[in-house]
Amino acid sequence: MKPTRTRLLLVFTTCWACAAAGAAVAASNAPAGMVVIASGVFRPLFASPTDSREVPVSPFCLDALPVTNGDFLEFVRANPGWQRSRVKRLFTDEWYLKNWAGDVALGTNAPPAAPVTFVSWFAARAYAQWKDKRLPTTAEWELAAAASATGPDGKNDPEFQRQLQAWYSSPSGKLANVGAGRPNYWGAYDLHGLVWEWVSDFNTAMVTGDARADSELDRQLFCGSGAVGARDVTDYTAFMRYGFRSSLKADYCIHNLGLRCAKDL
Amino acid sequence: MKASPTLAVIAAVLALNSPLLLARELCPTNHQHACCSPAEPTAAFTDKSIYQFGSRWTTDAGKQIKLGALRGRPQVVAMFFANCQYACPLIVNDMQRIEAALTPAQRARVGFTLVTFDPKRDTAEALAEYRRVRNLAAERWTLLRAEPDDVQELAALLGVRYKQDARGQFAHSNLITVLNADGEIVRQQVGLIQDIGENVRVLAKLVGH
Repeated sequence: MKPTRTRLLLVFTTCWACAAAGAAVAASNAPAGMVVIASGVFRPLFASPTDSREVPVSPFCLDALPVTNGDFLEFVRANPGWQRSRVKRLFTDEWYLKNWAGDVALGTNAPPAAPVTFVSWFAARAYAQWKDKRLPTTAEWELAAAASATGPDGKNDPEFQRQLQAWYSSPSGKLANVGAGRPNYWGAYDLHGLVWEWVSDFNTAMVTGDARADSELDRQLFCGSGAVGARDVTDYTAFMRYGFRSSLKADYCIHNLGLRCAKDL
Repeated sequence: MKASPTLAVIAAVLALNSPLLLARELCPTNHQHACCSPAEPTAAFTDKSIYQFGSRWTTDAGKQIKLGALRGRPQVVAMFFANCQYACPLIVNDMQRIEAALTPAQRARVGFTLVTFDPKRDTAEALAEYRRVRNLAAERWTLLRAEPDDVQELAALLGVRYKQDARGQFAHSNLITVLNADGEIVRQQVGLIQDIGENVRVLAKLVGH
């Protein structure tokens, strides 16, 4: 991987300006409802001494919007095995689509244009496969979500960081419809501010004490001392996402956890 | 990433120099399938059976199987990788201790399954070599590999967390799972060099001896 990464970075640096100029146009040419996220580098929040500090991410397509209740209704209509009363208990806990009125009825608590929540990783994955897509990886999701409204990396944009922290520190109430806010640099909406989203490799975030081989990582994850070992101690929202992912199990259905799909270029 | 590094570089060059071209020529269009979810439940298995998953696996003998092929006797299952220098040999040791603690009659009715995190290096040949070195009896032990997606799905089912580092080693949960003959999780034991007594009792009860 190493030589590739160096070359990638080189290309990345030299061509950054032209990529930025063409990004908006590229997004409009992606498959319907998807935007193109150009290649970039994901820097994991926690890296043990043997971990990669930088993970190159190839360009990919990402849904511009989170999957809505209306979208998911189509899926369960086409795949009755995923309806609430018929789903196998192995794939979801008992909270699956809890806010819906019935197997194929949304009801007042699940507006069609609001993001679907109370879906397990298995259900999210099955939806993506049905769409001939897949779930994004953590690296892909984080790369896409690092963009502010004006640039591919909002890390040093104080206004963007302030907005993120405001959302992450406010309790989630009734969910708004998708696409109500402002799109980010790539044309994707609601990566922050509405719901958390499943990633394909959520189970790579480890905090449990059962991974003895990973004790270095464990030690880094405890509060104050955790922050010392982390890449960027000011990136509070990345800490929250990491913590959230590491607490998930694949059958969990949660009131503020939804999904969006990705696709290879 | 499935794409080769060379392709990735080409794609990156295209993406960065000509986003328009990239979007038009490389972004695949959507094809909606009426039903293609591999997770579509199979009627033959129970609601809680992990054998419902249709993923395809390859044994160390190069044979293609589905997990359902393990049905019929309780299985002691763990995920591992052959290059592991630390935890995996101990996990396999624990499984062999369980095997040794069963009576011959019980042993004949229990299976032991190892699934690799590392399909890239753990080819069928590498797994066969592992079987030989660890002396894993052909009539009881199954060694499996699959595509990374399917490995990820099985790990999610078993509740195993894992992550590959830059050296190619995997950090992972140390977990031994006992499945009943239908593929339902009956018991899970976390950690290394644990007391195997309860696992042996559970297995003895499952095989009715």
